[in-house]
Amino acid sequence: MQNQILYVWYLLTAVTILAALLVVLAKNPIHSVLSLVVTFFCLSAHYVLLNAQFLAVVNIIVYAGAIMVLFLFVIMFLNLREYTEETKSNFAKLGAAVVGGVTLVAIIAALKKVQYPMPMRYDVRTGFVETLGEVLFRDYLLPFELVTVLFFVAMVGAVMLGKREKGERHF
Amino acid sequence: MIPEVVQRIPLQYYIFFASALFVIGIVGVLTRRNAIIIFMSVELMLNAVNLLLIAFSTYRSDPNGQVFVFFIMAVAAAEVAVGLAIIVMIYRNVRSVDIGLLNKLKW
Amino acid sequence: MLSIISLSIFGIVNLFLGFLKSRRILLPATLLFLIVALILNSMDWNQQALYFGDMLRVNNVFVNFAGIVLITALLIVGISRHFGNDEEHTHPAEYYAILLFSVTGALMMIGFENLIMLFVGVEVLSVAMYVLTGTDKRNIRSNEAALKYFLMGSFATGLLLFGVAMVYGATGSFKLGGIASYVQMASMYGAVSPLLYVGLLFLFIGMLFKVSAAPFHFWTPDVYEGAPTIFTAFMSTVVKTAGFAAFYKIASTAFAGVYGFWAQSLAVMAVLTLLIGNITAAYQGSFKRMMAYSSISHAGYLLLAVVAKVPSSQSAILFYSLSYSLATVAAFGVLMAVSESRQFEGRGDDRYEAFNGLAKTNPLLAFVLTVSMLSLAGIPLTAGFWGKFFIFSAAVQANLTSLLVIAVLMSCVGIYYYFRVIIAMYLKPAEGEGISVSAGFTLTLVLTTVLTLLLGVFPDVVKNIF
Repeated sequence: MQNQILYVWYLLTAVTILAALLVVLAKNPIHSVLSLVVTFFCLSAHYVLLNAQFLAVVNIIVYAGAIMVLFLFVIMFLNLREYTEETKSNFAKLGAAVVGGVTLVAIIAALKKVQYPMPMRYDVRTGFVETLGEVLFRDYLLPFELVTVLFFVAMVGAVMLGKREKGERHF
Repeated sequence: MIPEVVQRIPLQYYIFFASALFVIGIVGVLTRRNAIIIFMSVELMLNAVNLLLIAFSTYRSDPNGQVFVFFIMAVAAAEVAVGLAIIVMIYRNVRSVDIGLLNKLKW
Repeated sequence: MLSIISLSIFGIVNLFLGFLKSRRILLPATLLFLIVALILNSMDWNQQALYFGDMLRVNNVFVNFAGIVLITALLIVGISRHFGNDEEHTHPAEYYAILLFSVTGALMMIGFENLIMLFVGVEVLSVAMYVLTGTDKRNIRSNEAALKYFLMGSFATGLLLFGVAMVYGATGSFKLGGIASYVQMASMYGAVSPLLYVGLLFLFIGMLFKVSAAPFHFWTPDVYEGAPTIFTAFMSTVVKTAGFAAFYKIASTAFAGVYGFWAQSLAVMAVLTLLIGNITAAYQGSFKRMMAYSSISHAGYLLLAVVAKVPSSQSAILFYSLSYSLATVAAFGVLMAVSESRQFEGRGDDRYEAFNGLAKTNPLLAFVLTVSMLSLAGIPLTAGFWGKFFIFSAAVQANLTSLLVIAVLMSCVGIYYYFRVIIAMYLKPAEGEGISVSAGFTLTLVLTTVLTLLLGVFPDVVKNIF
């Protein structure tokens, strides 16, 4: 009974890693997208375990809901099928895998003995909407406002680049 | 009351877990040639960062990390919009259903 | 602070100006907006202020860097007479608006006091650049450059964020002050968390990607070559200036306590950047591609000043960015004029051959380009000479002798490829008809030349401000 949380944690972590591997390894882009969605759901579950309920919900709405639907839309729109002609040489792939493995081992080796101080006072409401909202609109007001500039750029840019110009065919 | 995960799972596990996700993303960027899959690998990297930030934030009981995650999500959404617009634009120029250009890119 | 707010409003105003039938108003309007921002910016002189709960710091350093960025943007807008010949497929209102927004991002990167401001600023600037790179929508090279820039840029953002997350894990703060005080305390007791080192590494790699230093430069030549020339000019000046302002700030304030850790590896990167940038530039057949590699090599000189981290580094970086920006804008301006009237393989010619005999067909452009090349090569009596001089003297103060030797050798290599174009202009026979340019275009180019020469003769005037 006591160890239940541990089982849940290990299971979730294993599924997340497997799904993430599938994103990278799958031949068919649609499989990649779907396993990425699975990864996002698992991560949301992790956020709930970590008491970050608000971000768990936002993660599902923004990532799984908006971003992945956009991805799926573009993939289906462009009719991307299986990619058989992955032309990158095995040598390059091996090199990348070695680079990745070495990076991971280096990070793990460096951080094996991280000392972590527990906070004096533990506030269980850290991840709640009220707390986050207060911090966001008090301390982070300026970046919050300036992110709108980014949205302006993204909106104008996406419309400008994606728009059909005079004389171009419809899809 | 401290959440059970914080009591039972050492923080290192989260660091290793997030690093593993991050490295999977890096390997994806380096090995794949399909632009959309590379882009998804980048999203995976950003999610590893989000997990790491939330774990640190919860273990410290400090909301700042979670607010940062909020910003990362907002920025990722903006980036996706621009990135997919670029991909659609290329498709328009190549004028082919099978966008061969995207895997002919020289790196 | 007012300059940031005003620029983001002006960008929106510019979008609305796009509804007007006449496009003539856009260029003067954008120039006016930038001048207003420049005036507002200079009003912050000698004001020490922290805004919005330690998010943004405005001081003289901010005013100086912001001034350089704004002046560069002004000059670039000055040479942006029109975007290509195809009037129907260009959207000048959007281009100008995105330029103004991207300057906002650059100012955020210069003034940040909290890592979140750095992140948002980097993103505003980069996303704007991805879009502008792809604006030549029907040109497959521009498309490909945009995609490549986008993928590499967002990859770099991921690395940067991983670093930020690790640093937060170690220090519990996103504020530069908070990180600095942790680093100071921890290194005093010899108990710096390994999280900080890992975070620092990733943070620096992300920044090096953005300023295109070797070995993270591989995207630069293709992107610079594929992007429309006017935006290449913007990318290689404004982005680099803002990037180095941010890089120097974070290295010298937040991570000053662990200088010994990052100085070594950054010195190696600086050497690599200098070697790769200069030697590869010498092999290029295209002027535009040569300028891309030359911008990598200039990142190497600027890195030298960051590695030195002596009090005079800051003014050296400021002076160098100013001289580099002026010369680069002039070079790309002349390239634009030349490649618009010379065609090669169905597009604007950007090879060295396009410049053959320019001294006879248009002596003024040839003179402007000569001064710009001399400045980039670091020949005395130009601004570039003093830029290199200040950087090298900062390196001397920090006892970086071996680095200095390499940098001096590499600037000799630089002379070779910068002089190639001068030789082509003055010694090769002329081809094709004369090149005519508009009055405003000429005025801007002459202005950059005059400024370069003035800075070369009287460097103290500006040096005393920095």
